[in-house]
Amino acid sequence: MTPIDLQDRAQYLSLALFAQQIVSVLMEFVDEKKSAKLKSALDGALNSLQRAKDPTALSKSKATAFGSYEQLRTLEEVWSDQDRARAVRMIRAVLRAPDSPKSREIADDLIALFSELQNQALWNFEQPKPVSPRVMQRLCQLT
Amino acid sequence: MDDYCRGQERSQTYADSSGAFFSYVRSLSAGIREELPRQIELATRFPSRLPVLRSRMLTLKRYLRLLHALVKPAADAHVLTIPAPLVNLASDQLMTVEAMRRSKIVVLLASELMYFQWPHTEIKIQARFVQDFIPSAVFPPKLGFIELPYSQGPSFFTNLAIYHEIGHFVYEELSTSVPANPGFSRLRSRIYKSLKRALPARTKDPQALTVALRIIENWTQEIFCDLFAIRLVGPAFSLSFIEMLGMLGFLSRSSSIRFNPTHPAPAFRLAEHVRMLREDSWWDAIVDINPNQKKILEQLAKRPSSSYRFYIDEGRQGLQSLVTIFLDVVTPAIRSLVREVTKNAACSAKQFTRDREVVERCLLAGVVPHKPNSVPLNPVSIINASFFFYLTSISQLIAKFEKDGEHTKVDVYSKWTKRVEMWTMKAIDDSRLYERFRKVKVATHGPHTK
Repeated sequence: MTPIDLQDRAQYLSLALFAQQIVSVLMEFVDEKKSAKLKSALDGALNSLQRAKDPTALSKSKATAFGSYEQLRTLEEVWSDQDRARAVRMIRAVLRAPDSPKSREIADDLIALFSELQNQALWNFEQPKPVSPRVMQRLCQLT
Repeated sequence: MDDYCRGQERSQTYADSSGAFFSYVRSLSAGIREELPRQIELATRFPSRLPVLRSRMLTLKRYLRLLHALVKPAADAHVLTIPAPLVNLASDQLMTVEAMRRSKIVVLLASELMYFQWPHTEIKIQARFVQDFIPSAVFPPKLGFIELPYSQGPSFFTNLAIYHEIGHFVYEELSTSVPANPGFSRLRSRIYKSLKRALPARTKDPQALTVALRIIENWTQEIFCDLFAIRLVGPAFSLSFIEMLGMLGFLSRSSSIRFNPTHPAPAFRLAEHVRMLREDSWWDAIVDINPNQKKILEQLAKRPSSSYRFYIDEGRQGLQSLVTIFLDVVTPAIRSLVREVTKNAACSAKQFTRDREVVERCLLAGVVPHKPNSVPLNPVSIINASFFFYLTSISQLIAKFEKDGEHTKVDVYSKWTKRVEMWTMKAIDDSRLYERFRKVKVATHGPHTK
């Protein structure tokens, strides 16, 4: 791996670690009834999903993922627009009522969603892809 | 990796920064050994979570794989294989840069013929996530990684490129700092706003925007780093840069005006070099020194900006509006930002003018540059005067010590180049030693001590 390869791969690994952090916190919440880190982790996830809509939006909130092409592409590969909207709704529901038994069921579904994202990021780490021709075409001169 | 780091540290001497990195690797290894039984226990208690726990282990392994790629080149870069006086000087200068105090640079020796700064932001982000899992493994703050080609390790003049790489470290560190650095926030906001205004609607989907943004940020960093290097080390950086471009074949008429997705056109970079050198009075200070490299610098810098072209790849021309935004809106902001960041670290053309003759006289006499009154020479003056001496007067030195006609022989030329480089490094070490001695004396006896 050259440094440049590693730089691109590093983006996928950061995303995998980001998803893992969310999954770990949610697992602690569901399996061990611990919620100390729940709010900050889910707030980070919400901010990051918000950033995914417009990567150039200047925001003071702390977004830790989806600021790069590699991370955004991975997200789009694994979650549809509906999945994203559903994830946002579910995160908000858990944040609204963390003590409700229903929230643990929702958190379990979120674990499945974020695990998928983590696994796709790990897959892309192993098999990084170049920028898609569609995106490159958009950055070409209209001649 | 743990055993390897221990073994290397027993047999070689490293800079403190490499030690801090090795120490992180060791604490991570120890933490993983402690954590593994807990993961096994979790898998036993919650068997349905086995796939998730397996992914967790896989993710950690990938992180270790990235670290693995850094450990060996860091271990290869012990003090005998790197230009230690230059690295030490550059590290000292880095401490004088606003907000970079207590930062550390780990030097890596690469197998490829390239200089590179490992983007450490991702490593830091990853390390923070890993720390949630292994709390005892704390990544050293403000630790950057700079890679030199192994073949250039002991040489001096080509390694001036490290100042540009240090610029990348500074850019990354300050542009991601918490709380945000105001200068970098202003620059980012300028980039975002101008991109949104200038791009056609079709490029505004999020993926295309991230790529356009990365291209502008790549160009921004390159110009920032070039100007940063010039502020710290003066025209010697530009000359070394010309040598490097020549080696890579980027000085031809056609390639010098090409922007690509990772780099701005060399002609534009050089125009910015000349502009900064003029503004900082360096251009006047070197008006009477005219190596070929300076002529090339001047010629390329004069290429009109209307001739610059942006190519996405070998054949396809990219959106020219990106170049326009970059030249008109972003570059002026970079210039001011570099000045702001380096306000306490900039080198002095006046000092060079004062020191130059002594350095040249010493080198021509075949001795380490020094002043007769034992007051040290300024290290940046030493670098610039020695580099200009190497480019314009080395044949005089060879003629003085070798038989007639020997200066055209490659091995003789190379031998004397190495000597000039060694004398330069020794002079820098002497200067730093004196400076440290002076600081200790002042700390012990007060500021009025002679």
